[in-house]
Amino acid sequence: MPMVLLTCDKDIPEREKHVYLKVEGEDSRDFLPISNAPTIPGTLSERGCSFCGAKLVIGGVLKDTIQMIHGPIGCAYDTWHTKRYPSDNGHFQLKYVWSTDMKESHIVFGGEKRLEKAMHEAFDEMPHIKRMFVYTTCPTALIGDDVKAVAKKVMEARPDVDIFTCECPGFAGVSQSKGHHVLNIGWVNEKVGNVEPEITSKYTINFIGDYNIQGDTEVLQRYWDRLGIQVIAHFTGNANYDDLRGMHRAQLNVVNCARSAGYIANELKKRYGIPRLDIDTWGFNYMAEGIRKVCAFFGIEEKGEALIAEEYAKWKPQLDWYKERLTGTKMAIWTGGPRLWHWTKSVEDDLGVQVVAMSSKFGHQEDFEKVIARGSTGTYYIDDGNELEFFEIIDLVKPDIIYTGPRVGELIKKMHIPYINGHAYHNGPYMGFEGFVNMARDMYNAKSNPLLKLAATDIRGGARTVIREAAE
Amino acid sequence: MGCVITSKERAGVINPMYDCQPAGAQFAGIGIKDCIPLVHGGQGCSMFVRLLFAQHFKENFDIASTSLHEDSAVFGGHQRIQDGVLTLARRYPDLRVIPLITTCSTEVIGDDIEGNLTKCNQLLREEFPDRKIHLVPVHTPSFKASQVGGYAECLTAVVKTMVTHKVAPTGKLNLFPGWVNPGDVTLLKRYMREMDVDATVFMDTEPFDSPMLPGKEILTHGATTVEDIVHASGALGSVALARYESAPAAKYLNDEFEVPAHVVPTPYGIANTDAMLQKISEITGKPIPDSLVHERGLAIDALQDLAHMFFANKKVAIYGHPDLVIGLAEFCMEVEMEPVLLLFGDDNNKVKKDPRLLAMKERVSWDMEVVCNADLWELEKRASNPDYPIDLIMGHSKGRYVAIDNNIPMVRVGFPTFDRAGLYRHPTMGYQGAMLLGETIANTFFAHMEFNKDREWLLNTW
Amino acid sequence: MNTEKLDQLFTYVQERCLWQFFSRSWDRQENIDGVLNTATDMLTGKELNLETPMDRLFYADAKILVADIRQRFPWIEDTGAAQIRDLMQGLKERLVDYTITRSLNGELHHSLY
Repeated sequence: MPMVLLTCDKDIPEREKHVYLKVEGEDSRDFLPISNAPTIPGTLSERGCSFCGAKLVIGGVLKDTIQMIHGPIGCAYDTWHTKRYPSDNGHFQLKYVWSTDMKESHIVFGGEKRLEKAMHEAFDEMPHIKRMFVYTTCPTALIGDDVKAVAKKVMEARPDVDIFTCECPGFAGVSQSKGHHVLNIGWVNEKVGNVEPEITSKYTINFIGDYNIQGDTEVLQRYWDRLGIQVIAHFTGNANYDDLRGMHRAQLNVVNCARSAGYIANELKKRYGIPRLDIDTWGFNYMAEGIRKVCAFFGIEEKGEALIAEEYAKWKPQLDWYKERLTGTKMAIWTGGPRLWHWTKSVEDDLGVQVVAMSSKFGHQEDFEKVIARGSTGTYYIDDGNELEFFEIIDLVKPDIIYTGPRVGELIKKMHIPYINGHAYHNGPYMGFEGFVNMARDMYNAKSNPLLKLAATDIRGGARTVIREAAE
Repeated sequence: MGCVITSKERAGVINPMYDCQPAGAQFAGIGIKDCIPLVHGGQGCSMFVRLLFAQHFKENFDIASTSLHEDSAVFGGHQRIQDGVLTLARRYPDLRVIPLITTCSTEVIGDDIEGNLTKCNQLLREEFPDRKIHLVPVHTPSFKASQVGGYAECLTAVVKTMVTHKVAPTGKLNLFPGWVNPGDVTLLKRYMREMDVDATVFMDTEPFDSPMLPGKEILTHGATTVEDIVHASGALGSVALARYESAPAAKYLNDEFEVPAHVVPTPYGIANTDAMLQKISEITGKPIPDSLVHERGLAIDALQDLAHMFFANKKVAIYGHPDLVIGLAEFCMEVEMEPVLLLFGDDNNKVKKDPRLLAMKERVSWDMEVVCNADLWELEKRASNPDYPIDLIMGHSKGRYVAIDNNIPMVRVGFPTFDRAGLYRHPTMGYQGAMLLGETIANTFFAHMEFNKDREWLLNTW
Repeated sequence: MNTEKLDQLFTYVQERCLWQFFSRSWDRQENIDGVLNTATDMLTGKELNLETPMDRLFYADAKILVADIRQRFPWIEDTGAAQIRDLMQGLKERLVDYTITRSLNGELHHSLY
């Protein structure tokens, strides 16, 4: 009985195709959840939209770029102050968001003039910024504004600026995933190859699919620096716009998040012959393996081994301290998609934690192939899980801790289950060796929080709290 | 010297002050008990608003989406409305109200909302003959108004749809506070109890501050019931505390059901609270009790310690919802601070003629600027200008970097206030709210003096 | 062929290797062939040709694979070259069967990325 129709789904029986319980002797040739498929209306799905996949996840990370959102105000408001990706230039990208603030008359008569004006104003107000992304949204796509033509006009008027347009209305696709795709493909089509990067090392890579959540990029950058490897572009953690225009010059594309950025790695391979190497950056074992592979590619294995030895000496004892205390913990992961397969084995191998249920908002079947291959039997694998399903799954697997977003975290709090921010982390970074110690620490602190026990205590019952009297 | 009222000159927005209409509609919708708003649009339109509410309240709220995809954008989203309504009805047996909230996309596509809801009502009657689920059409295209207007729109739509006839007199008062925190609702309900006034709060968001319980119950939801709403037509009067958020609903009840509508000053500060209580006393015939005279005295006593010592002549910039900003500016003047910059965040030009604002304009003896349709870049440009001194910023968390980068003390107030703990629990309205706000302002100044070594020694003997 | 040994190798690869799960069938085929051919050469002591970037990519993945196989499955040291070739051929075939031929992934054969 591998695909599961949960009780709460009896009225939406098609959900059975999205919920898989792995049992012994089965594999993804037998059963693979349907994913990246239309959402059932009214289910309280966790999915976002295509626009947010482009702006909030990828483009908005750039630290030197105006993010002009062509649409009503909400699209800008809602994708601002909802991410934790700092930068080394004072967090320009966290502080600002731009909107054309479309009103009814622009819907009726077209918004291109409004867009052009807003773009000029934005450059005028911040004269030191010379780069811009322009995003379409649902209404501007529906009325058919030609944003590319407007961008061209503004670039002609301002020779020192460069503008990228991303047509990613929220209704496109079925989730954030469509926006990742549109931005990846658009960028490689229009911008890669425009700038020749300065080459400072024999060894050059692009690091693709890492968004500097709580400083992940900085942790990894320190490793590459120590290995003497030049990162031409981070796609897109702590990145400048022009870094990403020089991606064609790297010798190797190292990919972490294959879901949001595998496309550009594939295209760079197809068009420029740059090999794509997928690694995992969360977890000791995985991080060491990733570094070994990159170093093997360049023939600098000794440097890699030295770095790994140093990092293990520094961090492994701390990791083991947590592993001793976390072994046997039952964990659930309800995030976007890739973290399911990045984490399920690394928490098992490095921390002795068992992942008992996983739900992906926007993963594709490729992600489910990966996670089912890596994950345990007896574990639930869910595509586009919704709120009632979460309640039921919690009841079935009784997780000790859940990695998910802050809103769902608030919900499960009431059920006395601690949550860790699986998207933006509690106190990260979580990548790399030190990062995984942070992740273990946060898990341990969440799990051993004394308040959980107090919450479970009913003071009306027979149990009495010990009273220690004051000293005489 | 004097007050100048202008509008932002730029077309675009850099750092918006308000979210869009559907966000406001969703906030009003979650205030109803046994209600799940259904947002007809792209998934981001509800997903991010839910996140925003979670950031502010540190709680989860249920809001559904019709999950508009590309095919619906081409062929219309009719089926998705029906599927969404029926799926909610089937999976949530206690559900009694579904506001269907439109967005920019579905308004541009032109889906026939009323027609679809008629069809949905018919389907619901067939499938659930013993159950009444109220479907409320809420038209909130994102390209009109803002979260402020969206709140009013949803509140009005709920009243229009659900209050269908004049019920027998209930002797109750309809109290429409507008978009406020649970702390304010708790305070207003206490005031009504102390005045012995039987009032229904629209929307009663008190349980938005909800506990972790040994039995693991989830009690985070609005508390205004279907019965409360249906019986609003039998009330002895409506009191709207927010001109831009709740007055239209009160006016509708007045026009349709002859429930007298009273739009009173938003009760921020002492005098505004006085006016509210006096009006309620007048409508109900109930005297203002000694307990509130006592509470008023405590507040004035506390503020008296602070006003001419610390607050006088402090220049304040205030932004947020219009009723809040105007009310806070009036409060500032009560304690001798000088509101020098008021920022309103949408293109509702009625604000420019708000009688409270015009009265203030007559009174100010310093340079004061009011910017309508403003964004937070308007604040930032002024705050970073050395010739434009600002001693205090009052507003929500979205402006936090203006304060941080320019080293200006800031008091978080309004919505959202996600970068401070627990603010939603505390009232800003009423005497207690004024006292708490004054003390928060003072403590913010004090911390600022200490960390900037700015006459921090004053406090050695205060 | 020793199916128990093949099972061991297969289980290891499924759990550890992301290269088998690239987005499109042709990338999966290329990776399976490339990495496992290189690994076979390494396990059978053949000299490697690392001229092109893709050669070096497959080497990077194969090197880790071979090291892990040697560590986890000591029997590999006592296995003759011909048998290793057979095993690795069997592994290739099974991976192709799982990740391409009988994969239920509906996006594998899209013509574009």
